[in-house]
Amino acid sequence: MNHRPFEDWLAHDQPLTIEQKRELQIHLNDCVHCSALAEVNLELRSVKKAAPAPGFTARFQQRLAARRVIERRNRLVGVLILTLGGIGLLGWYASPLALSFIASPAGWIASIVNFLLSLVDMGRALGEIGSIFLRTLPGFIPPFGWMIILSTLSGFALLWSVSLWRFTRFVKGAQQ
Amino acid sequence: MNEEQAWVFRAQKGDDEAFTLLVETYQKPVYNLCYRMLGDPDAAEDAAQETFLRAFQHLSRYDAQRSFATWLLSIAAHYCIDRLRRRKFSTFSIDEEDDDSPAFEIPDADAPNPERESVRKEEKEKLHAVLNSLEPTDRAAIVMRYWHDASEVEIAEALGLTVSAVKSRLHRARLALGKRWEESSMKQQPQRRPHESPAF
Repeated sequence: MNHRPFEDWLAHDQPLTIEQKRELQIHLNDCVHCSALAEVNLELRSVKKAAPAPGFTARFQQRLAARRVIERRNRLVGVLILTLGGIGLLGWYASPLALSFIASPAGWIASIVNFLLSLVDMGRALGEIGSIFLRTLPGFIPPFGWMIILSTLSGFALLWSVSLWRFTRFVKGAQQ
Repeated sequence: MNEEQAWVFRAQKGDDEAFTLLVETYQKPVYNLCYRMLGDPDAAEDAAQETFLRAFQHLSRYDAQRSFATWLLSIAAHYCIDRLRRRKFSTFSIDEEDDDSPAFEIPDADAPNPERESVRKEEKEKLHAVLNSLEPTDRAAIVMRYWHDASEVEIAEALGLTVSAVKSRLHRARLALGKRWEESSMKQQPQRRPHESPAF
């Protein structure tokens, strides 16, 4: 038996004309396959909504409170593990240095002062290099080159902002 | 800003009471979706509770331009689909809706029309069974269409599909339901025979 177009009429939500309804009724009288389709459609439309047992909101509040307790405990345990681990690791690495510092404090202080002075010198040298670079660079790059550099940087900034916006804005459900 | 949006806004600011109002409002549609998806009252209760917990935790990500109901149903549908995929090879009971009664009951003789009640119950069980035979995403689409009157656009939004994919899934699911309905009707007929009157 040919089920077209009756099968499509039943499987779609499109409204039928009076003539189509009449044709469908005639077909349904003879066709078990399409009758089953019509029956299941009717059954789906007639079944009422299931409701939860009374006190759903109270049970939700209890569950939320329990979840918060677990989350707080997990956070506390995490912080504790991180802190203790950090202290342990620091102790492990620092103990040889601490022992050597105790053995000769004057030598250590002198090397620290030297290190700080060398940092200051390095800062000064970098500053001078930078100022020379800035004084000479504009002469080498034409205005058109500057435009390209600025446009590229702006493009990257825009791309970065759009990516951030896309990833934080459209999140489907909470399954993520 | 309508009342619901105001509740969502307050809940996003950390107002638990406002979120409770949202739970009160949407508990039935969320539970119903979970129940129709999972087919078991206990699992549905658990899934509905989990849905609201997830919604609460991720409320800051909710886009106020979307419908809150659709967002919530999307969380519930995704959660149920995941759950069904995890227990793919296990079966679940087909219970009477709204209570914990066993799947097959002897009809109440004092009921106004026990025969009709019994037939009605059988039809419900049959519907549950054919619904359970669908692939989880198709089932979610069918449940949202029939029980929540969701449009194809809303279903697409909730399930993360295109509108044309939803149309084709609904079409395919309806045909599959019809086929299973026909098959189960054929199976039921010889079973009923022993209870029928000898006159027939």
